Amino acid sequence: MGVAELNQIDLRALTRGDKRTWDAFVIAAAPLINAVVRRTLSAYRLSEDDVMDAAQDVFVRLCAQDFRLLKSYDPARAGLPTWLSVVSRSCAIDHLRRRRQATEPIDDVPEAFLGVEDRHIEKLRIPDGLLTARQILVLKYLYDEERDVMEIARLLSVDAQTIRSTHHKALLRLRAHFRDDRPDGGG
Amino acid sequence: MNTQQPQRSDKELWRSLAIQPPVAPVSTPIAVSEVDLAAWLEGRLTEEAAGPVEAAVAADPALRRAALDLADILGKPLPAAPERMVVRARALVGFEAERKISSGGLIGRWLFGRSWHALQQGAMAVVAVVIATGGFVVGGGLSESLARQGEGYSATETASTTNTASNEVSEFFAGDGI
Repeated sequence: MGVAELNQIDLRALTRGDKRTWDAFVIAAAPLINAVVRRTLSAYRLSEDDVMDAAQDVFVRLCAQDFRLLKSYDPARAGLPTWLSVVSRSCAIDHLRRRRQATEPIDDVPEAFLGVEDRHIEKLRIPDGLLTARQILVLKYLYDEERDVMEIARLLSVDAQTIRSTHHKALLRLRAHFRDDRPDGGG
Repeated sequence: MNTQQPQRSDKELWRSLAIQPPVAPVSTPIAVSEVDLAAWLEGRLTEEAAGPVEAAVAADPALRRAALDLADILGKPLPAAPERMVVRARALVGFEAERKISSGGLIGRWLFGRSWHALQQGAMAVVAVVIATGGFVVGGGLSESLARQGEGYSATETASTTNTASNEVSEFFAGDGI
């Protein structure tokens, strides 16, 4: 069983608490939850026990309060594997936050976490409406994170040419705007 | 297909904008729900609905990384999860029969809804009553105890009467100077 089998799970039986359906769900969901939790916690050099506990937190959250979270899932809005991956990431972050509340040796904290954030990257003074949210997102991925065009295209479910086009149009708008509006009068 | 990174000058423009002091407070990141993020990752949102999600993702570096990570994980085969993880998760939900026993209706809820400490105290009280009853029965019960007590009382009373009589005779002889 794997991620594809998740879509075959009988959600009604699952949220009724049917043991066999729950077991099938666990077998199908565990590889995905395991992968997401590991990826989310990977920067923090946590132990295998932490990964196990964070993954268990995901399952607990799913079945807690008579499966309230699972009952809130709407198949019409997103596929179960994708929704589950987002939930798993949130749980892993919550686990990390709870764990960090206890005293932690400074050597265990990733350097990036201790470093002073380069805030100027996040505080772009771009007039509202000049760029679309997607254009800003593409520029941030390309320049702030130096991601590959193909990687961004895969994420946004478009082809690479569309990303290049989005980037080109955004730059044209920025150049046109700041040629006239730069505070130093530099064009 | 050309996958070259954009020109250096474009990056410089972007970064030159970044070092400008903001004239207005930077807006706080928009909260995005788990289901909206999932729908966006699957490309199910309309352009209008995707806007706020993309703005939230653009504003949060952690969310930007997460989006790429999740897209990557969902796009390729996954290794099996450790057996221990599966066993622990399966144990979270029991069989129907177990759940019925554990819930046990109103009485069950009343009984098991109490704290474990109260259950311990109750059990201790029952054990104490059993021990006391057992000891009492082994010891002959109440009737035998009363019978023994009655015998003791008669003997004491007889002895007491005898003593009184002897005292009176002694006083009689003492009164006569004997």
